[in-house]
Amino acid sequence: MIGALGARTIQDVVNAGHFGRFAWRSVNTSARSCVSRRTYPLVWTQIYLIGWLSAPVIMITGAFVGMTLAVQAYDQLAGMGLEEHLGTLINISVVKELGPVLAAVMLAGRVGGALTAELGTMNVTEQIDAVRSMGTDPIRYLVAPRLLACLLLTPVLIIYADVLGIIGGALVSFLQFGINSRAYWDLSAYGVDFWDVGVGVVKGFFFGAAIAVISCYKGFTCQEGAHGVGQACTEAFVSSFIWILALDFALAVISKNIYEIFWPLKSLVG
Amino acid sequence: MDDTNRGQENAHPPAIVEVRNLTKRFGAKLVLDNVSVSIEKGKTTVIIGPSGCGKTVLIKHLIVLIRPSSGQVYFEGRRIDHLSERQLSRVRTHFGYLFQEGALFDSMTVAENILFPIRQNYRVKNWHQIEDVVKAKLAIVGLDGFQNYYPARLSGGQRKRVALARAIALNPEVILYDEPTTGLDPIRSDIINELILKLERELGVTTVVVTHDMKSAYKVADRIIMLHNGKMIADGDADHIRNHPHPVVQQFINGQVGEDDLAVLRMNGSAGSAQFLPRDFEE
Repeated sequence: MIGALGARTIQDVVNAGHFGRFAWRSVNTSARSCVSRRTYPLVWTQIYLIGWLSAPVIMITGAFVGMTLAVQAYDQLAGMGLEEHLGTLINISVVKELGPVLAAVMLAGRVGGALTAELGTMNVTEQIDAVRSMGTDPIRYLVAPRLLACLLLTPVLIIYADVLGIIGGALVSFLQFGINSRAYWDLSAYGVDFWDVGVGVVKGFFFGAAIAVISCYKGFTCQEGAHGVGQACTEAFVSSFIWILALDFALAVISKNIYEIFWPLKSLVG
Repeated sequence: MDDTNRGQENAHPPAIVEVRNLTKRFGAKLVLDNVSVSIEKGKTTVIIGPSGCGKTVLIKHLIVLIRPSSGQVYFEGRRIDHLSERQLSRVRTHFGYLFQEGALFDSMTVAENILFPIRQNYRVKNWHQIEDVVKAKLAIVGLDGFQNYYPARLSGGQRKRVALARAIALNPEVILYDEPTTGLDPIRSDIINELILKLERELGVTTVVVTHDMKSAYKVADRIIMLHNGKMIADGDADHIRNHPHPVVQQFINGQVGEDDLAVLRMNGSAGSAQFLPRDFEE
């Protein structure tokens, strides 16, 4: 029992080391690939697959988040006579937390799963070994374009989710609850500033990098057979989800501390 | 009985690739056990052995697609097993590797597959010239005209031939073949054997073939090495292997099941006892 636990712990530490090395090589190679013109066509292909094809589902997610928030929060605010503050509540929640996190989770499912399945299949059919055997670094050819595309597009997709979330929330507030639109937008503009939007968008860079690195790693280390590929996809999604939540917490703490350093009195004034 | 030192005893042409005291473990499983092999320049070396004996693991070590647990790998006298992936990329361009299932990129056409190593290693400017190169490579394997086909539309034999055209795209000095005839009918197998001989004859390349197809081995080999349980148990030309005294070598080359294997089959019950009728499961 103790022996098995020890062996498992050692294996987990070894796996963490492999992942750390893979992540470092991926980030390092991607940074160097930015200045290589050869990488651009590969990045464009991934931008189409990751960004363009994901946009509709991300926008739908954002819209439903905003609409649901409006329905859930209205009763609480109306009970206190603060229903005109609904916009502030919806928009701050959407741009700072729910928009980025749910858009990233949706991307982890749609894009991360596809990346793991594609690279996992290439791994078990020796196509990744074939890339290496022809003098090409598979990290440069396969991982860097996907990482760069996720890094660039996740913040953009988060902005899409934010915009649709704001529109969805506003429509439900106006059409279903009859809230005065002018008061709604005025109070929203007062309660949500560029810092809040910026925090949400910056989170996108970290979420995008985490999704790409985890999904590519799981594909590269995928076990043989259909079961192996399926398991790798599941592990990629679960790991990405946990990393998104952990990064979200860490970035929330960091952004709060930075905010308090630069604008220590704003919360009192506000 | 074991003649693993034969390489050192006899005079051989210079080694282009060499592994020394190579040991490979995957977890607790020992796959290669202190294997030393010199691949002679310009010759065809065939590595034979039963499934799971470590043949593919050994051939992947020759271009360090797998890193050894211990031991060294040399290419043209220079140690390569400890190089970084980036440094190895340059070394690997001296090799062509035909994978067991071809490992063609499904999302690319035949021409794009062959172009892949060229585009990755050179700055291509003259595309007309490159098209001629692709045509010439495909003509060598008898598939000129298949440039725009996707791998899914090709038969198993055609896929292997395209993979071979891709393996020779960079004009390698050494071509490694991993089970080149597995899964092919006898005629397609012989086409691959003829291609191996043709490339050796016309391009003067060094060839390493991993196979358990003895007909293919006898046809193409200048030298045959046999692996068994991760150890090298025989090394010599076709006649040497045919007359080798080791019983495992004789069983393998003659395709005879050993007494040990038969004993296991007998011990695990008769085929009749595994049969059933539907009524056995019905109440």
